[in-house]
Amino acid sequence: MSAATIPTAPRAAGRWVLGVAALAALLAWPLLVEDEFIQRIGALVMLSALSASAWNLVGGYAGQISIGHVLFFGCGAYASLLGFTWFEWAPILGAPFGIATSLLLALIVGSPTLRLKGHYFSMATIALAELARIVVVNTPALGGAVGVSGPAMPRSVLDLSFISPLPYYYIFGSVLAVLLLFTWWMSRGRMGFYLRAIRGQERAARSLGVPAQRYKLFALLVSAAFTSLTGSLYAAMLGFVDPDSGLGILLSVKMVIAAALGGAGTLFGPLVGSAILVPLEEMTNAAFGGGGTGITYVVYGAIIVLISRFAPGGLAEIWTWLRARGTRRGG
Amino acid sequence: MILAQVVLNGFLVGAVYALFSSGLTLIWGMMNVVNFAHGDFVMIAMYVAFVAFTMLHLGPAIFVPLAAIMLFLLGVLVYYALVRHVMRGPMLAQILGTFGLALVLRYATLWVFSANFVSLPENLLGEVQTFAGLRLEPSRVAAGLAALGLTIGLHLLLTHTALGSRLLAVAEDRSAAMLVGIRPDPMQALAWGLGAACTGVAGALIALFFYITPTVGESLALIAFVVVCLGGFGSVPGALVAGLAIGIIESLSAFWIGPAFKDLVVFILFLAVLWFRPQGLLGKA
Amino acid sequence: MADDAPLLEARDIVVAFGSFRAVDGASLAIRKGEIIGLIGPNGAGKSTFFNCLAGERQPASGSIMLRGRDVTRASPEDHALLGLARSWQVPAVFDDMSVHENVMVGAFLRHPHAAEAAAAADQVIDFTGLRPVARARSGSLGTPARKRLEIARALATEPEILLLDEALAGLTPTEVRAAIDLVRQIHARGITLVIVEHVMEVILSLAHRAVVFNQGKVIAQGAPRDVVQDPGVIEAYLGRSLSRKPPA
Ligand SMILES: Nc1ncnc2c1ncn2[C@@H]1O[C@H](COP(=O)(O)OP(=O)(O)OP(=O)(O)O)[C@@H](O)[C@H]1O
Ligand SMILES: [Mg+2]
Repeated sequence: MSAATIPTAPRAAGRWVLGVAALAALLAWPLLVEDEFIQRIGALVMLSALSASAWNLVGGYAGQISIGHVLFFGCGAYASLLGFTWFEWAPILGAPFGIATSLLLALIVGSPTLRLKGHYFSMATIALAELARIVVVNTPALGGAVGVSGPAMPRSVLDLSFISPLPYYYIFGSVLAVLLLFTWWMSRGRMGFYLRAIRGQERAARSLGVPAQRYKLFALLVSAAFTSLTGSLYAAMLGFVDPDSGLGILLSVKMVIAAALGGAGTLFGPLVGSAILVPLEEMTNAAFGGGGTGITYVVYGAIIVLISRFAPGGLAEIWTWLRARGTRRGG
Repeated sequence: MILAQVVLNGFLVGAVYALFSSGLTLIWGMMNVVNFAHGDFVMIAMYVAFVAFTMLHLGPAIFVPLAAIMLFLLGVLVYYALVRHVMRGPMLAQILGTFGLALVLRYATLWVFSANFVSLPENLLGEVQTFAGLRLEPSRVAAGLAALGLTIGLHLLLTHTALGSRLLAVAEDRSAAMLVGIRPDPMQALAWGLGAACTGVAGALIALFFYITPTVGESLALIAFVVVCLGGFGSVPGALVAGLAIGIIESLSAFWIGPAFKDLVVFILFLAVLWFRPQGLLGKA
Repeated sequence: MADDAPLLEARDIVVAFGSFRAVDGASLAIRKGEIIGLIGPNGAGKSTFFNCLAGERQPASGSIMLRGRDVTRASPEDHALLGLARSWQVPAVFDDMSVHENVMVGAFLRHPHAAEAAAAADQVIDFTGLRPVARARSGSLGTPARKRLEIARALATEPEILLLDEALAGLTPTEVRAAIDLVRQIHARGITLVIVEHVMEVILSLAHRAVVFNQGKVIAQGAPRDVVQDPGVIEAYLGRSLSRKPPA
């Protein structure tokens, strides 16, 4: 699992060099690759990493496994495109409203839901998201089962409607950087320790003075806000959302899977998981000609099954295992 | 009178819900594993019935037991090949594993059968009868009664047989069961087999009157989750009561508010119950 | 607060599980600086009573005062804030965190900044002798180290009163002696202690006052040597199993 990795002093310098190199590579590679298909995958990886990292605050660090995060994603996506449909706003201008709605929802449903333990919590979050989906499907003003679209033609840069995937890559990447910086800062301070303690043993944590309910709720609020923003960005890029693409269970599960695959409760786990899953999905899609045949998800599902079978702790587990072997050999 | 009809229909569907939810609750209560592929097991059983009928021209008397046997084997296979290993990991691994399995089953079916809706002939078991003013569709009545009987049978199996008490012993306390010489592995595999066999029968029965499509499992799984949470993990009588209640509530809300809103009512009730009684309606305090 | 007022006082505590009263009208007053030994046969209700004192469980009736405040319905985190810390009968360490990080969780209560919390945790780790395993993942520890970690983590909240629920159970005689030493040092720092123990040796060598629980009631209390010779106490123990209990 997310075994505590304890940095030792001499390695710290090496880490910095490695970090800067990785960042440079992340910034530069899309410019070096001309293929738009691959650039597009890069943008989608960032988008997926964004939502999975937001989920990670609640599901990974605090260990409260929500399978209803699509609720917040949908808030963001719908706020953006409804802002356009109703008032002709640029989609991204709807983002603050999506975030506000998400925060409000998280406040209202968070307190009772976060009291539930284990599977009960997961089930309640599924039910909440499904509830939202059914309401939207049956409300024509919200686009009903058909969904809502953004501007057909870009009117200004504010519409964030670009032909090349590159701007999206950098926009999503910047937001992700902000989120990861926050997560990093949080994980080193009291909040990070408290959330991990809650995940480990909530009762014991409370006996040490951890106000568990308050911290879980705060994590949920931050997580909801970023998930909603991801939804808005998604809507700006795709220009369309319907109940399945904006509020379907599969989307919630994808957030969980991306984070769990790379390592839930680790800083870069969601990014690593996304960097594996999204290309996998896009490439099988391309190879077998779209989702219609279903092959994509058969392959996708099979790989998830294999990973859970052979590395139940996610890839982070393989990584710690390899490192443990390495140090044993080396020292 | 029409109300009685609505309640009757709800009751009959509810009995089928109760049956496949019993399968889920058995696994869930025994191993604390949520099977996210449970709805897709039901879906597979529906296609077993469909293929058996349309291609092999077999009747329900054969395809229902056939589906039960095939799903039993699938359950045991899934236990040994996947669940056994996934159980050792964190809860996330269970979600990953069983949801991955759900995707494989769902989309492999989609690939083979396409996304089209199919169904069995409505009059497979004979024509509609009226009795005391109630419309009795033979397929629904047979499905409901069979499901009711089998759910009760499962409960009796667990509570009144030596095998059942061995199963429950493992569910109660794994290590204590091992001390008295019960090996947990075969028992847990059996639980998966039985749980899946429940979906096998339920799927074949529900196929008699329900549309069949590769994604039908998703909504059925949600129903099973709700039933199990309400009835309490591991409780077959709980699943029976909750399943019947959900069936009737769905039917009534479809009648009073509109078919589109039947799930809405179910989910709202579910959340309300969770918030006021987090251990489920019939669960232990 | 008057000097002679008890630090922690429980009056007529009742806890019922269904119709069974696990704690049935128990009262106990603890003065500052005492070491109280809570003994009694298995299932006497010690842990349940203990959980009421720590705010983990709310009694059906009765009242609890901590440092002059009514905390009968206060949350566990409020108890911690007021200076009460506890260990768990079944160790509840945070497996995924290192020993040092576990202790830091406790230290954060009084030191909101990470650097200060880390420093405070270091002191507690040295004090409790956990230095050699400070960087180990606590899930990999054996029982003795886990029990010690529980104590360390509780100490890091800088409590005035510490409740230890069988913190010494399952230890070898050598480890028990080391643990007794640790408890003495904790007491020397001015911390009031309540210890639940089945091992009489521990109670006899540590406790100022022994309180005997049976069937949810306090049936005797006083100097440990007198209490163990009380016919009622002997009866309570012999009526059930022997005083030694297999490790939980
Ligand atoms: N959550 C619970 N639900 C039902 N009964 C309980 C619960 N917790 C404890 N009990 C019962 O209450 C009684 C007192 O239990 P408690 O744990 O307080 O005893 P104890 O004195 O600490 O025993 P031990 O020495 O074994 O730790 C026991 O009979 C126990 O079975
Ligand atoms: Mg006890």
